[in-house]
Amino acid sequence: MLPTLYIKLYSMIALVDCNNFYASCERVFNPKINLKPVIVLSNNDGCVIARSNEAKSLGVKMGQPAFQLRNLIDKYRINVFSTNFALYGDLSKRVMNVVSTEVKKMEVYSIDEAFLDFSDFASKERGIAIKNKIKKWTGIPVSVGIAKTKTLAKVASYIAKKHTASGVFIFKDEDLIDRALNILDVQDLWGIGRRNASKLHDFGIHTALQFKQTDSRWIKKHFSINGVRLQKELYGKACYQIETLRKRKANICTARSFSKEIKELNKLREVISIYANNCATKLRKEKSCCTTVSVFLSTNRFRNKKIQYNPYKSISLQVPTNDSVEIIKNAIYGLKMIYNCDFLYKKAGVVLGGIVPEEQIQLSLFDSLDRIKLKKINVAVDKVNSIMGRHTVKLAVEGNKKVGKLKQMKLSPCYTTRFSDILKVKC
Amino acid sequence: MNLKHLKNTDTLEFFAIDEQSLSSIPLFSDSVQAGFPSPAEDHMDMDLNLNDYLVHNPSATFCVKAIGESMKDAGIKSGDIMIVDKSLEPRNRSIVLAVIDGEFTVKRVNLNDNELYLIPENSNFSPIKITQEMDFQVWGVVTYVIHKTV
Repeated sequence: MLPTLYIKLYSMIALVDCNNFYASCERVFNPKINLKPVIVLSNNDGCVIARSNEAKSLGVKMGQPAFQLRNLIDKYRINVFSTNFALYGDLSKRVMNVVSTEVKKMEVYSIDEAFLDFSDFASKERGIAIKNKIKKWTGIPVSVGIAKTKTLAKVASYIAKKHTASGVFIFKDEDLIDRALNILDVQDLWGIGRRNASKLHDFGIHTALQFKQTDSRWIKKHFSINGVRLQKELYGKACYQIETLRKRKANICTARSFSKEIKELNKLREVISIYANNCATKLRKEKSCCTTVSVFLSTNRFRNKKIQYNPYKSISLQVPTNDSVEIIKNAIYGLKMIYNCDFLYKKAGVVLGGIVPEEQIQLSLFDSLDRIKLKKINVAVDKVNSIMGRHTVKLAVEGNKKVGKLKQMKLSPCYTTRFSDILKVKC
Repeated sequence: MNLKHLKNTDTLEFFAIDEQSLSSIPLFSDSVQAGFPSPAEDHMDMDLNLNDYLVHNPSATFCVKAIGESMKDAGIKSGDIMIVDKSLEPRNRSIVLAVIDGEFTVKRVNLNDNELYLIPENSNFSPIKITQEMDFQVWGVVTYVIHKTV
């Protein structure tokens, strides 16, 4: 159903999206691997989190575990790197700074994406100029998608990347938009995850165009107001503006895959406590409190034959908190509710939600905790840990094991952030 | 920060800080107390910032260490740190960080009668002629060299 109202004064938004960002960062300081397959592995060298185009065409999948790729890596001499976030963070900052010299208003959306306000002047040439400047100044290749809404800009950048030589694509007329949406899998729309996509597939909605043309009442029923907003955005009606202020994080999460699967509740309790405390520390750093503590577990999804079990439990708190003890206690309570001894677990995590500023907390009349005293303890612990190193002071429930150092076999030097690591060139 | 030229002697040049470029730096850090104010107060809280001097375009500037002696006559010795600006267009006679067939090198650009050479600054090395078949690219322009003397 078509929305009845079109706004006359519309905005124009450009999405600048770095191509295969982590792989491109490695290439800036290593021109030998230009045009060669490159992959970057996640923490502990577990899974593929970035692929160059060459690696993509060899069939390397996003998220694929490294052990499945050993033969392919040897056969095609794929260049493998561990994540080097110091390097990627520095280059990201540079890219964003370059963009900021070209537009009045922008939103840094992620480490490798930014939304730019193009309302004053939207043209393909402007996109190309920005793209060339970023490439020249930082060495990072980007794609630019230009359209009336963020969602369509995202689609445009996708087309720019896959189907244009210039790497810049602008949606000018409705016909073009519908033709593009017709070849786009609904899963590739902004905000539609794997889970929503499979639900849509079950209803026979496979392309983005089908989603656009679905009755919005039906969408509202099954995908809430967010689904309706997404649909409106596909019609060119902006529901999401460019956010220039950094928002307080919507939630804080610590989750890890284990190198070995875990079965025992005792061990999981230790792990969950560590993650919960980690989240609590991040929360205090942001001067925030949380109102929900959630725990999740997952079995190994790469063991196809086994039955999978991915439970999730969220616990609401009466008074928002950032106290480590309270957060850990609730996380363990949640863990006990979802734990099932029949499974081996590959991954676990803690998510803190309902984040509110520390100073806005309303104290409950029936609160039994001395929050001022607790705060003093947490401040002291954070201070000790910031001076003497993380995990110097911890709670007994977190266990006594040394926290394992990251396995990073193929780490590239921190070319831009450490003098000992700067690029060395033969003269 | 800009430096204002003050005076030349036979061996040294003297500079002062151009105050216009400092307008954003607060001059007082503490509240004023009774007593005779220090005449130096107006000039406190200021340091020479080498970054400002060496780095004109932070987003495009990288530090690169030189290994080898092929540029020693241009003042680039092994172990020196070069400041490289990617945003600059090389001119004839610029010292550049170039990539030839995937390998980094630092040389002086020389364009003569439509022939492009990369020239070393050390008589023990030979110039490199850049041809059509080579994969050649200028990575950045070397703008400063930091050389340790002790």
